[in-house]
Amino acid sequence: MRDGRRWVTTAAVVAVIAGAALISKGEAQTPPGAPPFRFGIAAVVARPRITVEWQAAVGGLRQSANVGESLAANLDRAQVDATAVPILLPRDPKLTAGARLYSFGDYYTITANTAGGRVSLSGTTATVPLPAAKPLKVETGPEGLTVQRTVDGQLASFVRFGVLYTVEIRCDAPGDPRCHDDNYVLGLVGKTTAVVMGKAARQAAGLGG
Amino acid sequence: MRVSPIPLIAVLLLAPLAGCDDTTKPPPAGEAPKPPSPEPGPPKADDAPADGGAEQPASEPIPPSPDPAAQPADPPGPTSASFDHAPAGAIPPGQGPGYLDRTVWSPNMCWPLAEAGFPNSQVYGPGGGSGPAGHPNQCDSLNYSLPWHDTFCEARSRSNPLCAGSGTGHQGQDIRPATCKKNEHWAVAAEAGTITDIGTYTVTLVAKAAPHYTYRYLHMQMSTLAVKEGDQVARGQNLGKVSNDFGGTPTTIHLHFELRAGVSGMTTDGKPVTLHTFLPPYLSLAEAYQRKLNGQTCG
Ligand SMILES: [Zn+2]
Repeated sequence: MRDGRRWVTTAAVVAVIAGAALISKGEAQTPPGAPPFRFGIAAVVARPRITVEWQAAVGGLRQSANVGESLAANLDRAQVDATAVPILLPRDPKLTAGARLYSFGDYYTITANTAGGRVSLSGTTATVPLPAAKPLKVETGPEGLTVQRTVDGQLASFVRFGVLYTVEIRCDAPGDPRCHDDNYVLGLVGKTTAVVMGKAARQAAGLGG
Repeated sequence: MRVSPIPLIAVLLLAPLAGCDDTTKPPPAGEAPKPPSPEPGPPKADDAPADGGAEQPASEPIPPSPDPAAQPADPPGPTSASFDHAPAGAIPPGQGPGYLDRTVWSPNMCWPLAEAGFPNSQVYGPGGGSGPAGHPNQCDSLNYSLPWHDTFCEARSRSNPLCAGSGTGHQGQDIRPATCKKNEHWAVAAEAGTITDIGTYTVTLVAKAAPHYTYRYLHMQMSTLAVKEGDQVARGQNLGKVSNDFGGTPTTIHLHFELRAGVSGMTTDGKPVTLHTFLPPYLSLAEAYQRKLNGQTCG
């Protein structure tokens, strides 16, 4: 079950970040072309447009100083440069040292090994809307922070700079305490604050390539 | 507009840290191939698992959930699938809330098996932990027959915000392979994309095309996977063989197929929310299987 104290602590961390990131409407991050609609199926999926708050993201980049680039030193630079959203990294050099980044432009996911499991960190501007009549049974915190327990771990999501970010731990052993409750994943969310931007993101942010 | 500096040190001090952050490098390219698994034989003792059902530890209670809501009297247009399949969201009373949604979330995906398959309950079917009396074996012909049954939001203890009531429930669709033989039937890529993660009993595929659905394949024979992390795969490409690998926990021979995405909606208490979560794959599977029956190939 959720440890209320830990949730509050992490919420405070997230609130500090959120409060510092002054929201503005920067350049729009337009998702790639929508897929063809099919007729004759029960319903079609409309794709909402998500706007990256580039000014806030650039603020986060500056606050990260050189920390973000240092954490990203071992990531595939071509994948970093292809990523058109701000990349968030945990301030945990051991975790990022061997991490692998897979970029799809408006979506990226990073896989990092941890003893007895793996951590995934992703960010995207591509989302799908649920039917209005289908509300979600989930608690939310600052920045829309949610935590879900998966078959093999814990999955946290939050929205920062207008981007949906996820932090997930997946455990090899069913008894691993990091996957039983949300303490570990909330701790990881709390330190996932370093901003990195490659060429595509810098161009979109108006910083040049 | 200027952005205020923030005290990063304070942030770092506040951040609750857990141990176990040791990291290891990924396996080097060209590592020695894993030894092949033994050839599958006739059904064995583990074909009748007594674990309480797929992906549900016997030690964890399942929160109570309401029975499924009534099907709408005038549902949206029916799926084009013509084979015998129960309606989306139709979960029998007492087996979970189900999820009444007729959206085909992934309208172009491939059927994720090379052959036929039987989507149905691993818990309430023969051989399941809450299966029918007199049918103790998972290889019972009832499990390998039509109709299909939706298992999204079947009763489970793990999170699923789409499930009414407790917000817990099955996070994907369970599919038995063409026959009750493990390590024989291929699971294939639902979309072109990249294998972004491989666990002890999970394979994660992120689609190249927006909205970059995440497909998770559970319980394949992990020692003989046809892919490794970082591989770019084509639609319909072999990934691995359907088995019952579950990190040492017994389960039935089946593929747990999960569809995840960034989703925006409203919470039950009226707040807008955007999160990465599970979507019901049942109708996408039905449409994909119908295309396969119609002779369309994948890949
Ligand atoms: Zn399952």
